[in-house]
Amino acid sequence: MNLTPLLVAEILLFPGLTFFVFMAFILEWLERKTAARVQGRRGPVVAGPFGIVQPVADFFKLSMKEEIVPEESDKFIMRWGPPLYFAAPAAGLVFVPVIALSALIQNQFDLFFMFFILSFTTLMASLLGYASAGRYSTVAVGRLVLQYSSYEIPMLLSMIVPAVLSGKLSLSGIVAAQSGHWFVLFAPVGFAVFIIAALAELEKPPFDIPSASTEIVGGWMTEFSGNTLAYVKLTKNLSYVFLSALSATLFLGGPQGPIFVSGAMAAVVLHTFYFTVKLLFVAFLIFAIRTALARVKIDQATRLFWTILTPLALVQLGVAVILGW
Amino acid sequence: MSQAADSFSGRFRRWARKRSIWVFHVNAASCNGCDIEILAALTPRYDAERFGVELVPSPRHADVLLVTGTVNAQMKDRLRDVYEQIPEPKHVVAIGACALGGGVMKGCYNVGHGIDKVIPVDLYIPGCPPRPEALLFGIIKLVTGEPPDRREE
Ligand code: SF4
Repeated sequence: MNLTPLLVAEILLFPGLTFFVFMAFILEWLERKTAARVQGRRGPVVAGPFGIVQPVADFFKLSMKEEIVPEESDKFIMRWGPPLYFAAPAAGLVFVPVIALSALIQNQFDLFFMFFILSFTTLMASLLGYASAGRYSTVAVGRLVLQYSSYEIPMLLSMIVPAVLSGKLSLSGIVAAQSGHWFVLFAPVGFAVFIIAALAELEKPPFDIPSASTEIVGGWMTEFSGNTLAYVKLTKNLSYVFLSALSATLFLGGPQGPIFVSGAMAAVVLHTFYFTVKLLFVAFLIFAIRTALARVKIDQATRLFWTILTPLALVQLGVAVILGW
Repeated sequence: MSQAADSFSGRFRRWARKRSIWVFHVNAASCNGCDIEILAALTPRYDAERFGVELVPSPRHADVLLVTGTVNAQMKDRLRDVYEQIPEPKHVVAIGACALGGGVMKGCYNVGHGIDKVIPVDLYIPGCPPRPEALLFGIIKLVTGEPPDRREE
C-alpha cells in the first residue's frame, strides 16, 4: 500500500482521527444529556449551545491540571501506557469504512485485527491499573479481567457471524456483501449479543463492575490525574465510537443506504450521513440500556455471559452457517 | 492581568476551567445534614450538572474539595491527606456552621474549631445546613469569579 499525501490527510483528518475524536466528544455529550433527560434533569447547559462543548471543556481542563504520579507506581508504564491505550481504538477505526464502501486501509483479515484491538484495549487498561499501584485500582483490575474473560467469547462468536454470512474476513468485504440486506435481519441474536458484550467492554451499567464508583472509588482510574486522566477518558469515549462503528459495520450495513447517487462528492456525503446515523442509533441503544438498568454482581454477569449468551451466540453461528451455505 | 492570560489560548484555558468544575466531597464528622444538601444540589430540582459541576469518586480527579462537619481529632490527618491528593489548581469550600467554626458542636472535647485550622479554605458557606442554592452559587462564583447567570438558573 502506498502512503500518498491524500491518504495521510484522510487518515488524520476527515474520516480518520479528527472525525472520530469529534464523534467521541459528541457521544459523551449525548450520553450525559440523555441520562439527564431520563432522570428529569437538564444536563450540561452553560458550556456552549445546549452544553455541547462540555466534554471539550472537561478534556482541556484536565489536561491543564497538575499531574500526580504515585510514588510506588511503575513510571515507565504510567508514561507510555496512555498513548498506547489511545492508539488502540484509533488504529481500529481506520479499518472501518465511512465515506465509501471500502475503508481507508484494508486487507483480507481485518476482522482478526479487530479481535486484537478489542483485547489489547482491555490489556492496556489492566496494565495501567496495575502500574498505578493503588489498592482500589488493583481490585478493579481483578474485576476487569474476570469480566473480560466472561464477555470475550460471546463477543468474538457474534463477530464471526457476519464473516460466515458474507464469506469474507475484511470489514470492507462484509460491508460490500450487505447491499440490500443488512445482516441484522439474518442475525438479530448475534447483534443483540454483540451489543450486550459491548456494554461490558465499555464498562457501562449494568456491567460497570470494574469502575463501580459506589464500591471501589474510581475503579482502575482512581490514581490518574491531569493529562493521563484526560487521555484515558478520551480513549474510553473513542472505544465507545469504535464499538458503535463496529456494530454498525458488521450488522447494519455500514455506509450502505436506501438511496444511491452517482456523483462522487454526493456519494461521499450520503455514505457519511448513513454511517453517522447508524453509529448514533447504536450509541442510543447503548445509552438506553445504560440509563435504565442498575449494576449486576460479578458472578451474575459471568453467569449471564457463559450460560446464556455463549449458547445463544453458538446457535446463531449455526444458523448463519446454514444461511451462508 | 499578564499578557499571556489575554491571548487566545489564555482565554481558552480560563474558559475551560470555568466550565468544568469537578467536586469531591469529604464528610469530616458532620451530622449528615450538610451532606444531604450537597446531594440535593445534584438532584433534578437544582441540577448542578448544568454548570458543569460533577461529583467525582476520587480526589485525584477533583478541582474543588467540599468539606462538611466539625473536623475532629481523628479526622484531621485524613483530611490533610485528601487535600494533598488533589492536583493543583484546587479550591476548598467549607460548608455549614460546623465547618466554619464548630457550630452546635462547639466546645466538645474532641472537636476542632473550623476547617481552616487544618487546611487553607477559599470559601465559607454558612448555614445549618446551607441551602442547595447557596452551595451552587458559592461554588460557581468561586471558580468562575462571577455569579451564575439568572437566565440559566
Ligand atoms: S452545620 Fe448543621 S447541618 Fe451541617 S453538619 Fe453541622 S450540625 Fe449538621
